[in-house]
Amino acid sequence: MARIKFDAVGKKYPNGFVALENLNLDIEDREFLVLLGPSGCGKSTTLNMIAGLEDVTDGDLYFDREVMNTVPPHKRDVAMVFQSYALYPHKTVYDNIAFGLRMRKHPKDEIDRRVRDAARRLEIEPLLERRPDQLSGGQRQRVALGRAMVRQPAVFLMDEPLSNLDAALRISMRAEIKQLHQAMQTTFVYVTHDQAEALTLADRIVVMRGGVVQQIGSPDAIYEQPRNMFVAAFLGNPPINFIDGRLARHEGALVFRRGELALALPPDMAQRVAGQEGREVVLGIRAEDVTEQQPVAAGERVQGRVLSKLPVGSDQFYELEVEGARLFFRLGKEVRHREGDCAVLGVNLNRLHLFDKGSSNSLVWH
Amino acid sequence: MQAVLPLPIARLGRPALLLLGSLLFALYVLAPVAWLVSSSFQSEAEITSKPPHWVPHQPTAHNFRSIFEAREKVVTYENRRQGDTATGGFIPSTAGNLLPGMWNSLIVAVAVVLLNLVVSVPAAYALAKIRFIGRSASIYFMLTSRVIPDIALVVPFFLFVQKLGLMDNLLSLVITYLAVTVPFSIFILTGYFESLPDELDKAARVDGCSRLQTLLLVYLPLALPSLVAVVLFTFLTSWNEFLLALMFTQTPASQTMPIVVASFTSDFNISFSFINAAGVLAIIPPVIIAILFERYIVAGLTAGAVKG
Amino acid sequence: MTHAAARESVPPVEAGAPEAVRSRRPAWPWRWFGQPVSAYDQRSAMLLLAPMVLVLMVVAVFPVVYSFWISLFDLKLTRPHRVPFVWFDNYAKIFQDSLFWESVGRTTSFTVVSVSAVMLVATLMALLLNEDFRGRRILSAILLIPWAIPYVANGLMWKWIYDSGYGALNGLLRQLGFIDKYLVWLGDADKTLLLIANAFVWKELPLATILLLVTLKSIRADLYSAAKVDGANVWQRFLHITLPSLVPGFALVMIYETMMAIRHFDLFFILTEGGPAEASHVVAWQVYVETFRKLAFGTGAALAYIMAIATFTLAFFIIRSTSRKL
Repeated sequence: MARIKFDAVGKKYPNGFVALENLNLDIEDREFLVLLGPSGCGKSTTLNMIAGLEDVTDGDLYFDREVMNTVPPHKRDVAMVFQSYALYPHKTVYDNIAFGLRMRKHPKDEIDRRVRDAARRLEIEPLLERRPDQLSGGQRQRVALGRAMVRQPAVFLMDEPLSNLDAALRISMRAEIKQLHQAMQTTFVYVTHDQAEALTLADRIVVMRGGVVQQIGSPDAIYEQPRNMFVAAFLGNPPINFIDGRLARHEGALVFRRGELALALPPDMAQRVAGQEGREVVLGIRAEDVTEQQPVAAGERVQGRVLSKLPVGSDQFYELEVEGARLFFRLGKEVRHREGDCAVLGVNLNRLHLFDKGSSNSLVWH
Repeated sequence: MQAVLPLPIARLGRPALLLLGSLLFALYVLAPVAWLVSSSFQSEAEITSKPPHWVPHQPTAHNFRSIFEAREKVVTYENRRQGDTATGGFIPSTAGNLLPGMWNSLIVAVAVVLLNLVVSVPAAYALAKIRFIGRSASIYFMLTSRVIPDIALVVPFFLFVQKLGLMDNLLSLVITYLAVTVPFSIFILTGYFESLPDELDKAARVDGCSRLQTLLLVYLPLALPSLVAVVLFTFLTSWNEFLLALMFTQTPASQTMPIVVASFTSDFNISFSFINAAGVLAIIPPVIIAILFERYIVAGLTAGAVKG
Repeated sequence: MTHAAARESVPPVEAGAPEAVRSRRPAWPWRWFGQPVSAYDQRSAMLLLAPMVLVLMVVAVFPVVYSFWISLFDLKLTRPHRVPFVWFDNYAKIFQDSLFWESVGRTTSFTVVSVSAVMLVATLMALLLNEDFRGRRILSAILLIPWAIPYVANGLMWKWIYDSGYGALNGLLRQLGFIDKYLVWLGDADKTLLLIANAFVWKELPLATILLLVTLKSIRADLYSAAKVDGANVWQRFLHITLPSLVPGFALVMIYETMMAIRHFDLFFILTEGGPAEASHVVAWQVYVETFRKLAFGTGAALAYIMAIATFTLAFFIIRSTSRKL
């Protein structure tokens, strides 16, 4: 129902602070788009611009080819769920949900039907006559969802709606939101700083930092093919391991070299950086891309002294000191090393990441 | 509530000290008023006794009766007193003007309160919740407009009102009181609105409210304590105001209560007991209102915490 | 259906000609100010503020300008037809008048005494009311009484108390044995200002107390908790948390009360009419005399203007010096 287009959109404050810089983004109809990044990266600003709550200082914002820059929020067909729910404290749950429909002058019986439908679907029917201060956090959140749902808007905006919930509730609500998206067949734009949330929910993710888009892509693409060190580090838990080193020739092959550590680059990667021996690079290894299985071939070997180990239920995290760098790896429960032991692990070479030391950009993906 | 006072004495001592403090203050506040009330129930003979009778030995309602009964007295040339040109030709020695005066005060106060709300509430919302050019200028403008003392308004208003023929017209009072009370109201309301969550504003606007609708449907119901405080302040300021009323009202028909009461004190022929009775009548309405709405005053001035 | 409202104001952009319509943003001067303000918000804000601006124009801008204008004339209502333009003569005459400077002195002593008393007692009362105890609501309600009473009634009440013939002050002091015979309080030039100050303080107390109370209540409770954990005792918490947090509110209230005291008129009218023999002849009273008794409007306006400027400057300096501490 709505394609949203950001055309060189920027946001600059009178004191000079730039919240958003040259944003170019095409949001497809019915997709679930997640804006991901640390605080201050501009994701909420972007969301507010879609809603009309913040003004566009540069560039143009389109809804289905119409310029929306000067259209106030109450004339746009968007609905929004806020981090703190923003329920009207002096109204009952029913009135909270019905409010938007009443403002748009829908007929009374239709309002009643829609409200009750939504309440049923969100399982808050018995709460309809209560006030927000009589509800729990999770219940309030559903009311906020209901309020947005009944409007059947062209775009559904969500600003970190799950941040105020406890962990267990958060997981179950994620699933519900995903189902909601399927059922409503509407464009969802979702803001979060939680990368796990983004990976679970999104059709596409926009990773942002300091007002600048870092990468746009599907969760898989972003995870597997990060375009710079920031994106690589932001997604994945625990964060990816970075090691400084150089490209070198070792026994006829191009390797990543740091002291005694020499990891052979796979063919397609070697091809891209051919002839650049001596270049300073940063290697990225994700914690899960190693194996304890012995024997380990020479070009895949990572060995180091065990500094600490942390059991995490299903796995263990091992902290290894490798050539002066501290790396975290995820290993199975059957692994038994002690602190101070020397451990030898095998790296999955096809899943290595290589970055330019100066610019932090990936040398592999573009 | 945190114990803030440094009362490093035994736990038993704290309540005693609080009690002592409370009694002292209550005494300080109530004693003069109690004496006023007591005096108003004494006859002229009793009131002039030395030492004074703290509690009336023979309480009488004579003074009050004379106020209510004297309403029908007519103003004649013989009754006129020559005196201040500012206070003109009133009759201090009859009580007849007090009740009409109170009625005038009431009309003016109510009008001022209503108009004040119409002016202040939208302005406060705009200042608190909307980012716009000229916002800081407006705030400074509003704050500094009350730095002018009332005295400074006297001459220009007097001449202006005279030229417009609005002398002796309650409208001139309404307009000037309005102007005098608006800055403070806006100040209080803005503070309160600012303490209400911004996200309610955003939610309402996304739900389909224009700015005005957001104000009326969402923020206004939540700002009740503040509104009550504003109504109170405005009403009392307007009811009690003296100087401007002194200027603008020359005839008894348009005089407000403070002027009438003031006129009593400058005539030495009036009985003391009568003056006190007039005073008691004058203070009853504002005191009742203030006591009734006491809990809103502090709440309305403090930023309210609203969950949502 | 989706953007019907917006549609009529903005022509759609064709897919094939993306450069044809670069931006529909109106060429308002908003960009010059560099503010990220939507035209709709600006319009709304101006509409909402319009009544206030209108009203304040009437009371703030108009009298200031007009009274300055009047003060440049020798306007006397006793001879309204001849109104010579005298430039700043009125001001010069005022500044050369010893009566004026004496009244400035009286205003100052009145203000200093009143404001000190009000701030002291109001602070104590606010600290008391901040505590939680039974009967606090009642005390709070009682406290409001002086505020609710009109100044005239207040003056009347104290005039009766101070009365030389039968007043309560005389009666009480005599009964307690402090004096032998009844004194003429308001007729005693030395005591007049003090007596008026007492009546003024009594009336100003509630508002000052409430404003200070509001400041006290806004001090975050977790500051006290943190201090307790850090080992501060009650006295130290008072000294290092309560007092410093009170300073900005205290300064604000002090400024307000100072301004109220300088411009106060009502009690001077009711109690003493500037007497006895000029003892309570303050600047505010002088304005009244010039304007309504002598009918010298030019002088009255000039005097009022001097007062306004003095008050404004005073407030400005106090705000400046205290905001450094904020």
